Amino acid sequence: MNLLFGLSPFLAVGVGALLLMLAEAFGKPNVAPGVETTDAGAGRAGELALGAAVILVIGAVLSVAVWVAGPESLPELTQVAPHLVIDKFTLFFSFTLCVGGALAALLAGGYLPEHGIDRSEFFPLLLLSTVGAMALSAAGDLLTLFVALETMSLGVYSLIGLRRGSPRAAEAALKYFLLGSFAAAIMLFGLALLYGATGHTDLAGIGAAVRSIGSPGSTVSAGKILISLVLVLVGLAFKVSAVPFHQWTPDAYEGAPTPAATYMAVAVKSAAFAVLLRVLLVGFGDERLASWGAGWPPALAVLAVLSMTVANLVAGRQESVKRMLAYSSIAHAGYALVGVVAAMRSPEAVSAVAFYLLAYTVSTAGAFGALILCGSRGAEAVSYEDLAGVGKRHPAAALAFSLFLFSLAGLPPTAGFFGKLYVFRTAIDSGLYTLAILGLVNSVIGAYYYLRVMVYLYMREPAPGAPRAVTMRSGFVATALVAAAIFVLLLGMAPGFTLDMASGAALTAR
Amino acid sequence: MNPLATVFPPNDFALLAVIVGLPLVGAFVNGVFGKRLGKEAVTLMALSSVGLSFLASVATFVALRGARAAEQAPRFVWQGWEWMRVSSRLDGPDVPIAFDLSVDPLSGTMILVITGVGFLIHLYSTKYMEADAGYHRFFAYLNLFVFSMLVLVLGDSLPVLFVGWEGVGLCSYLLIGFWFHEDANAAAGKKAFIANRVGDFGLLVAMGLLVYHCGALDWRGIDAAAHNLLVPKQVWPIGTHVPLASLLPDSAAAWLNAPRYATGATMVGLALLLGAAGKSAQIPLYVWLPDAMAGPTPVSALIHAATMVTAGVYLVCRLSGVFVLTPAAMFAVAFVGALTALFAATIALVQNDIKKVLAYSTVSQLGFMFLGAGVGAFSAGFFHVLTHAFFKACLFLGAGSVIHAMHARIHGTEASQDMRNMGGLRKFMPVTFVTFAAAWAAIVGFPLTSGFFSKDEILFKAFTSSPQAPLGGSMMVGGRSVELFTWPEWAPITLFVMGVAAATMTAFYMTRLIVGTFLGDFRGWTVVPGWKAAHGHGDDAHDEHAHDEHAHDEPGHGAAGREGPEPHESPWQMTLPLVVLGALAVVAGALNAHALFHSHLLDTWLEPVFQGVEKAIVVKENSKALELPLLVPGLLAFAAGVGGAWWAYVARGGEPMRALAERVPGLHQLVYEKWRIDELYEETFLGAVDALAEFAVWFDKWVVDGLLAKLTALLVAGGGAALRLAQTGRTHAYAALMVVGMAGLGWFFTAPHAQAKVEANHDEGRYVVSAAPGLGYRYRWATAEDGSWASDEFGAQAKVELSLEVGTSRTVKLAVENAFGRVEERTLLLERPRPDRSGPGGATTIEINRGADGRLEGQVAPRPIPSGAFPGPLGSALRVPPSFPVPGGGMPAPRGAAPGGPVPAPGVAAPSPGGAR
Repeated sequence: MNLLFGLSPFLAVGVGALLLMLAEAFGKPNVAPGVETTDAGAGRAGELALGAAVILVIGAVLSVAVWVAGPESLPELTQVAPHLVIDKFTLFFSFTLCVGGALAALLAGGYLPEHGIDRSEFFPLLLLSTVGAMALSAAGDLLTLFVALETMSLGVYSLIGLRRGSPRAAEAALKYFLLGSFAAAIMLFGLALLYGATGHTDLAGIGAAVRSIGSPGSTVSAGKILISLVLVLVGLAFKVSAVPFHQWTPDAYEGAPTPAATYMAVAVKSAAFAVLLRVLLVGFGDERLASWGAGWPPALAVLAVLSMTVANLVAGRQESVKRMLAYSSIAHAGYALVGVVAAMRSPEAVSAVAFYLLAYTVSTAGAFGALILCGSRGAEAVSYEDLAGVGKRHPAAALAFSLFLFSLAGLPPTAGFFGKLYVFRTAIDSGLYTLAILGLVNSVIGAYYYLRVMVYLYMREPAPGAPRAVTMRSGFVATALVAAAIFVLLLGMAPGFTLDMASGAALTAR
Repeated sequence: MNPLATVFPPNDFALLAVIVGLPLVGAFVNGVFGKRLGKEAVTLMALSSVGLSFLASVATFVALRGARAAEQAPRFVWQGWEWMRVSSRLDGPDVPIAFDLSVDPLSGTMILVITGVGFLIHLYSTKYMEADAGYHRFFAYLNLFVFSMLVLVLGDSLPVLFVGWEGVGLCSYLLIGFWFHEDANAAAGKKAFIANRVGDFGLLVAMGLLVYHCGALDWRGIDAAAHNLLVPKQVWPIGTHVPLASLLPDSAAAWLNAPRYATGATMVGLALLLGAAGKSAQIPLYVWLPDAMAGPTPVSALIHAATMVTAGVYLVCRLSGVFVLTPAAMFAVAFVGALTALFAATIALVQNDIKKVLAYSTVSQLGFMFLGAGVGAFSAGFFHVLTHAFFKACLFLGAGSVIHAMHARIHGTEASQDMRNMGGLRKFMPVTFVTFAAAWAAIVGFPLTSGFFSKDEILFKAFTSSPQAPLGGSMMVGGRSVELFTWPEWAPITLFVMGVAAATMTAFYMTRLIVGTFLGDFRGWTVVPGWKAAHGHGDDAHDEHAHDEHAHDEPGHGAAGREGPEPHESPWQMTLPLVVLGALAVVAGALNAHALFHSHLLDTWLEPVFQGVEKAIVVKENSKALELPLLVPGLLAFAAGVGGAWWAYVARGGEPMRALAERVPGLHQLVYEKWRIDELYEETFLGAVDALAEFAVWFDKWVVDGLLAKLTALLVAGGGAALRLAQTGRTHAYAALMVVGMAGLGWFFTAPHAQAKVEANHDEGRYVVSAAPGLGYRYRWATAEDGSWASDEFGAQAKVELSLEVGTSRTVKLAVENAFGRVEERTLLLERPRPDRSGPGGATTIEINRGADGRLEGQVAPRPIPSGAFPGPLGSALRVPPSFPVPGGGMPAPRGAAPGGPVPAPGVAAPSPGGAR
């Protein structure tokens, strides 16, 4: 029973996904009389979105429940370890993932009907992908890790290509699929090498084997470990879209339906960070690797600086808000990587990254949602120009957009401020002054393009004759925005509770 | 030292949240739904929220008294939530910033005033603002103000106070500019906002300094750690010497370069004074308050007389534990107060606008409060806050009532407030007159009224007490004794004389005001001659007449002018607050009537708040005996002021003053134009800002846009082009870049990185060199003087230790072989400097400021400093992270700086060209 309880967040979402699939397949299409359709889910995006959101909220609530009950007091959970490691780290991330997924589902409930994408398989796919993401955050074994990674990715490939008629969507999906397979193959090679070198597939065993290197009688080859580390890093850096493994991101986000892009930006990235942290700290947590000498921290530091700088510079030059948000997500991967680097010395950095990703999840989902709200059928808001004057015509949408952008830019009293504060502070506490300063400088650069949106919202009028963005009306999108706004403000004004939870989620390096 | 340090049981006094929350609810409802609710509902909401808040405040007050009677510490706390933690130094203790509220006798009394007077003024406003289109907006702002003010007073820490501080500033801005369609009002609002920003800067600086020195921002934490503020800091010269001073003659240069010290307490005190001066309209930041009278009169009464402007005094009282440590800052507080009291009183002598007179009078009275707090008589200063809240609110509301009445005849804002158009209103509005007279009696110091006692108390204390320097007046800095600032002998008598002079002038101009307004004959008939019907003329026509000088009576207009409505008494909603406040203005002195009745109610009540700090105040020996004699100058001031004004304006009909003005027209004009301080600021500060702005425009145009922007644009365009080249949209190009990234990572992990860190102990000459770890790394070392390798084989030894003679140096070589058999070498140069620090190559230039024995000097009763942390001269806290320098390949390096103990040798780590074999 305790085992079931411990696994309940995963089971709820997984079983929910299956039920939703059945409901979609066996329900009656909801189309105008006289229209022939073979798709049982036609016209039912609303109810399916609601179902998916409810399932994911249940998943989130169960995550909190298990967290409160304390996974360490559930000894039965060791039965599934190391394939699934249910600890507070996992539960915090599964909460984040469920929240991100639920927000994406709500956005889809408004977006898909509005833009005539009548494809209700979106929701089961979203749920199954979330199961993969949750399993990824729990993966303590190379096999689970890879299976979960692919479960998560396959769903996302389909979500991107949902708009079958659009060549752009097909291109985006194919591009992501090809590059994703490439990265996955590299990573799989690394995993195989790791197994070959250590004879273990579980991360803890691998960590022990790595630690044994240099002690008398150890047969583990340091060279193979280093090579496999490179290969695994490539695979995971691709998933968190760190520069230079980032180039698919803007193209995929742009071609994908906005809720799918939201899901990729929040859930896929968070899950990838979770597994990155666990692999590095548990598998490669040896002092000789997790230190500022010849280990992964300097390498990741370079990726972090590259991600922040390149993404911020390029984001400032985008004309499409959606692409800007894509680059913004790359820059945020850079900020979070700063925390990952700091995790080599302080367990607190792990909690900082976990908190950062939750803050980033609600802010980004909110920003994408506000962008969705600003457009309507045939007049999707894409470019900055489309947003001109929205502040006057639709103050609520503009206000919400501004709030989420403030949070992404890291201004108090929003969630993003605290996320950045804690990540940079742990970096400083770990002595990574240069990295923290570069992060701060980059935050300032980033503020430029976030504020630019606000300039268009409030200070520009659309050019005469230019098509005007008309905001859509949707209870789903509004609900998602209100929920995200509450999170953003709550995490910004009274972060104590969540911070306490996050600090419980710390993994230790050694 | 610490009035609140006695142990209190942790309390959860949620009533405080109710007190604060109710007006917020009122503001929210009225602000968001006010338009749809209708006038009655808005009135009900506004009045009930503040009224209930008042009742809750009374309950709190009673509970406080109960706790006091039970001999418990009268302090209740409500803990909201913790917002965040900051740390004072990199590894200092965390300073929580929490939304906590607390109440003690000081704030308990303040909230009674805020909600009580606030409620009366809300009631008054329901009629005063009755016809205004922005009725609901007005009450939303007013409720929001009460909320902010309560947060300010009840906040348990400086950050929470700051939230309220900014909130009242915002409400003040919104309400001054309430009738924003007139440019002058909007400009007045902006002026108030900007002057307050200058003050807020001071408050922020004070917060930073307090975090640094005390590691706390809540009241009890500050008090508990206040002694840490007695650390001397060199404040001059900034850096090691004054730039260009060497160009001056030697003696002048030496004088300029001589180091000067201030204690942390002085810096905090002066920063707080700047903040308080902004909010409480003291020199030099008082200029906004007179202009603030552009707002509706109830606003002037509530915000700009009774509550918000006393926030500065409250702040000084609240942090009295910090102020008593610094006689220098106290001296500044007292003299700023006395000067303001005197200076503003001179301006009030000649103003004609009834609200302007009251505004300058407020500035002057606030000066009295600062004077009281500055000499260490915090409870006397606070007593004046209390009495002033009653009589000045009553005066303003009375003035509002007068203006309301005048509006029946005169529609121009300026003309309806001009005393030259009033006179004789006693007949038309008896209630207003009686209450106004009561408040007048209080402010001029009519014996036995509240103002008499509170002003006398301040003057008495100014004469008899002064703060004494802490630590016996000197402290050690770098082995030398430095004298601390002590109050000069002449200070008390000077302050006393200034106070008496200001009191005399107060009595004079207030008598002039009441005579001009209420006595004699009504002069308003002549303002609008031929005035028949309310809608006969446009407002412009009225104004034209109103601006004319009609001081003399025109017989021709007399009878005709009496047509139309007369000035009339105001409705009960307006007179009731007047009566209550007028009564309080008369009797509230009984709270603390030392001199005559030995009543110490307020002093006793506030004792727990100030009991620690008053030990730091020296009181003249014979002060008890002086108490009665010192009443005489105050009485004389009252008699001279009132008598003089009576003689000049009633007996002689204003003739002497006109004559005086004609004899010195320049001076009269100068005072009438408020000493032209606004113009002075315009010319100097605003001029400087304008010049700076012009320069910025020029710089922006030619340097930023012309040079930098073009350059950056070029770079960004280049970079963009390069990046666009990369972002082709072609999948195989993306994959290629991933391969490049993978190759980069592969290079990094397969190349050896020979890095080392040195822990140097120069004093003992011991140096430990440790190589950075790496998976599969093996090392060998060359530490001998001839540079030969210690062994031919690579081994596991990652650390060598060696010792050096003074003034010598040694080259150490390290070779690292990694798992792939590649080798990298690194050469390090170790130097042991001479003790006089003239060692080769300036090796010790980053030595931080500390004494020969390695301890911080000149520090008195220091807080235990966390190990490894050092308060350096620039507040740097330094420690060593376990980090390593980075290979030359451009990795971001965490540069750990100097720790307290081992200092990394600066001459270390010149990378050698040796590389892979």
